Amino acid sequence: MTRSMKNANECLIEVSKLQYQYPDGTHALRDINLKIFENQFIALIGQNGSGKTTLAKSLNGLLKPSSGYVKIDGLDTRVKGTTKKIVTKVGYVFQNPDHQLFSNTIEKEIAYGPKNIGLGHDEVNQRVQDAAQVCGVERGLFQDHPFFLTKGLRQRVAIASILAMRPKTIIVDEPTTGQDLRQSLEVMNFLRDLWLHKGHTIIIITHDMNIVADYAQRCVVLTKGELVMDGATREIFSQPDILAKAYVKPPQITRLAQDVLEYNFPKDVLSVEEMIQAFKKIARKEH
Amino acid sequence: MMAAQIAENTHQWRYRLDTSLRVSQRMRRTLLGTVPVHSPLYKLHPLTRFVTLLFLGVLPMFIDWPEINIMILVAIFIYLSWSRVDLSGLKIYLPLTITVAIFMFAISIGFPGYKPDYVGFPFMGLQLFFQPLFFTLASYWRLIAMLFGTIQYFSTNRERDTLVAIRTLHVPFVISYFFSLSLRAAGMFMEDMRIIREAERARGLDETALTLADRAKLYAMYLIPLFTLAIRRTDEITNALVARGYTLSGKLENGNQRSDYILSKYPFRLLDRALILGMLCTFVLVVILRVGFGYWSMDTDPLRIYLLAMLLGGGQ
Amino acid sequence: MKAISCQELSWKYSGRKRFAVENVNLDIEENTFVSIVGPNEHGKTTLVSCIKGLIPANYHGIWYGKVEIFGEDNRNITGQKMASEVGYVFADPESQFTSMTVEEELVFGLENIGLPFQVVHDRLEWVSEITLIKELWDKSPYEISGGQKQRVAIASVLAMKPRIMILDEPTSMLDPIGKDSIFDIMTNVKNETKMTIIVVEHNIEQIAPLSDQILLMYEGQIAKMAPPEEFFNNSDFLVDHGILPPQATAFVDRLKQDGFYDGVLPVDYEGGVKATRQVLQRHTA
Ligand SMILES: Nc1ncnc2c1ncn2[C@@H]1O[C@H](COP(=O)(O)OP(=O)(O)OP(=O)(O)O)[C@@H](O)[C@H]1O
Ligand SMILES: Nc1ncnc2c1ncn2[C@@H]1O[C@H](COP(=O)(O)OP(=O)(O)OP(=O)(O)O)[C@@H](O)[C@H]1O
Ligand SMILES: [Mg+2]
Ligand SMILES: [Mg+2]
Repeated sequence: MTRSMKNANECLIEVSKLQYQYPDGTHALRDINLKIFENQFIALIGQNGSGKTTLAKSLNGLLKPSSGYVKIDGLDTRVKGTTKKIVTKVGYVFQNPDHQLFSNTIEKEIAYGPKNIGLGHDEVNQRVQDAAQVCGVERGLFQDHPFFLTKGLRQRVAIASILAMRPKTIIVDEPTTGQDLRQSLEVMNFLRDLWLHKGHTIIIITHDMNIVADYAQRCVVLTKGELVMDGATREIFSQPDILAKAYVKPPQITRLAQDVLEYNFPKDVLSVEEMIQAFKKIARKEH
Repeated sequence: MMAAQIAENTHQWRYRLDTSLRVSQRMRRTLLGTVPVHSPLYKLHPLTRFVTLLFLGVLPMFIDWPEINIMILVAIFIYLSWSRVDLSGLKIYLPLTITVAIFMFAISIGFPGYKPDYVGFPFMGLQLFFQPLFFTLASYWRLIAMLFGTIQYFSTNRERDTLVAIRTLHVPFVISYFFSLSLRAAGMFMEDMRIIREAERARGLDETALTLADRAKLYAMYLIPLFTLAIRRTDEITNALVARGYTLSGKLENGNQRSDYILSKYPFRLLDRALILGMLCTFVLVVILRVGFGYWSMDTDPLRIYLLAMLLGGGQ
Repeated sequence: MKAISCQELSWKYSGRKRFAVENVNLDIEENTFVSIVGPNEHGKTTLVSCIKGLIPANYHGIWYGKVEIFGEDNRNITGQKMASEVGYVFADPESQFTSMTVEEELVFGLENIGLPFQVVHDRLEWVSEITLIKELWDKSPYEISGGQKQRVAIASVLAMKPRIMILDEPTSMLDPIGKDSIFDIMTNVKNETKMTIIVVEHNIEQIAPLSDQILLMYEGQIAKMAPPEEFFNNSDFLVDHGILPPQATAFVDRLKQDGFYDGVLPVDYEGGVKATRQVLQRHTA
């Protein structure tokens, strides 16, 4: 672990006894307690329908708790009239970028947020430029319609439109779904940059355990609306039994190492490279 | 530290699995609200429910007597509460009913018009006239009864119920096809609208803080993205329909009719027959009596006669 | 029997400079499981749309060549026959929904091909049971989680039991165990009903062991088509073409390159464990 996980950093979001029930009676979240700290890279994982999206939407006030509370920098999301403040602190990128884009040019799309929180013309322009540049959206595309871009670009425009409000915490719901290897790496490395060099807290929701292993520093596991595990990624993946109960499967390579434990492989191998290193050590020693 | 936390959470989790068997009431989303899945209402066939729309929504048009329309309104509320609809959800229509009342009575007091037989009386320093005032009162309750007769249908039924009702009537397939397509289009339109609004809220739009004018402007602005979305949706739905073999004729290639599984899931009971027959007969009877024989017209209203007599008696 | 045969197939969307699919010759035997992989925008969806006949029917562009479904030119096959022969699960589940409740969505295709009540009923029960969506029947397909939407989309096509089933990135939003279970279902159905299955996927780990053939689409052309055991034997080529082999395969491949292993490359996890054990036994005393 390169960075301290806790204590040293400031608490950005505090969730206490959060319950959420959809209007049709679906009890999507049950008694969630969670603290999100400054400058963390967190993966939110769990089986389908376990409430990840619901929790993410609760973290930026899109959904208001049925009971319990979510406090962002001390601001309770249930209090009326705080929306504009909250979105400058926590940004949420939707599971499906098509659910997020609604303007008829990319420029307007990115400018919507900053304008909406009441920034001046010049400031809005500046932020559009910055966000677009950081996300790799070229100026030449500014007048294009967001609907007709490629999947990867749509995703990046969606992130740029959130980034333009400069929230400290950015939640991205399934950033690599439907993306190929190169684009997945691109978007993940970009998120890692925001975390490492710009001081953001990043929360990703994903079903790709390889990505969790490669990028996330902390892991939060949901099952049927309950938070069942919360800790360092390495520790979480080294407990396959508990994970299995949450319908989560560690990456293939982690499982492979765990399956040949009798040869003294570490329990928390996270990549093929680490596995090779471990193998070479073992093979050499035993020779 | 971390391990301890994991252990603690896991422990809590096991414990919670045992205690979290709290059963919450399952609700069904309707066009305007939510209704418990086990509402007794759903024992009635969708067609029966559809006929209540015609019955309760149109009947008041033929009745001038406010006391009867108020009774119809009460009946609607009893029907809704028997259906286990959360009546407090109807609060959102309160501003509408009050606005309409203020509007109608303001006009009738401000511009009563004049006829020689108008009976005037003073009220809090204003000169009021009985006839136009009572006319407004009657029209108001008629309107409200019709309004809630319609609201009750849309807050207890879904697109699906309406479709089943239409198909039960065995209208030609082309008609039910276009009907269902437009219902779906309406459903998707609302879905798109919800999506866009959520996307805007995620970027700081606070509708509660908007003035009425701003809100109107906002809704006008939705039209552009909704239009673009609609174009894309049209392409998508064409593909989706074709991919699963939907055709405009409603016929199979061997000439047989497309099957209708959903329809056959709803039993049409004797009770439904009786209720529909009852409602239709009552409706026809009311129309005949009203149009042919002047029943329930304004002049014959006992309440009006009584009040007028009081006023005239008291005035002289 | 040949289920699908593409001959010199090319398609260019109008307004585009390049052909999205170019000169594809492809034969797929009945009752095989074919996976299509490849980077974004390299013509995977376009190819399967051509097979299903959505292209050229519902798109504008230029078409060359021919696609045959069980020996019949697919442009001559009528809508309903096509629907019951070739099932198609769209990449975006929401774009596939035609109804406002999940139950209606599931029976929609069955009604269209005119199946009798009892059959529809049994198929509905069967498909909801195996895809675990029974408790969603009464909900709107727009008000469920992403993965649940995807299950509904798959189930609504699977219920029709078509002879050929095409799935475009069907499990992109499913959890790892959910992915396994969907592919288990597909394999079972394939074995029981002689179904031919074509899956477009980015995540190769789960489908590699199930596939009879893996097909790599690159720049609109078939860059490689081979059974899984052969498909991974040149990992540099694959990585150059944007494909990452499964981790267990990659690990054993590395062992092989470093001279620790000389057997066949495993394509599934169990094979990976076996090969690793072998190597370990040999290299630790
Ligand atoms: N708008 C809604 N109305 C009613 N129920 C909903 C709605 N959205 C989601 N649900 C239900 O709430 C539960 C949690 O859904 P959520 O979308 O949070 O899951 P998720 O963990 O994000 O799953 P996935 O990995 O499939 O995206 C599910 O059972 C789902 O059916
Ligand atoms: N409806 C369309 N109109 C015009 N061009 C299109 C259309 N759909 C796809 N294309 C173009 O055709 C090419 C191939 O796209 P296709 O969707 O087949 O790729 P894909 O391999 O399925 O990619 P992905 O993994 O992103 O789904 C791309 O260059 C794309 O931009
Ligand atoms: Mg989700
Ligand atoms: Mg595609």
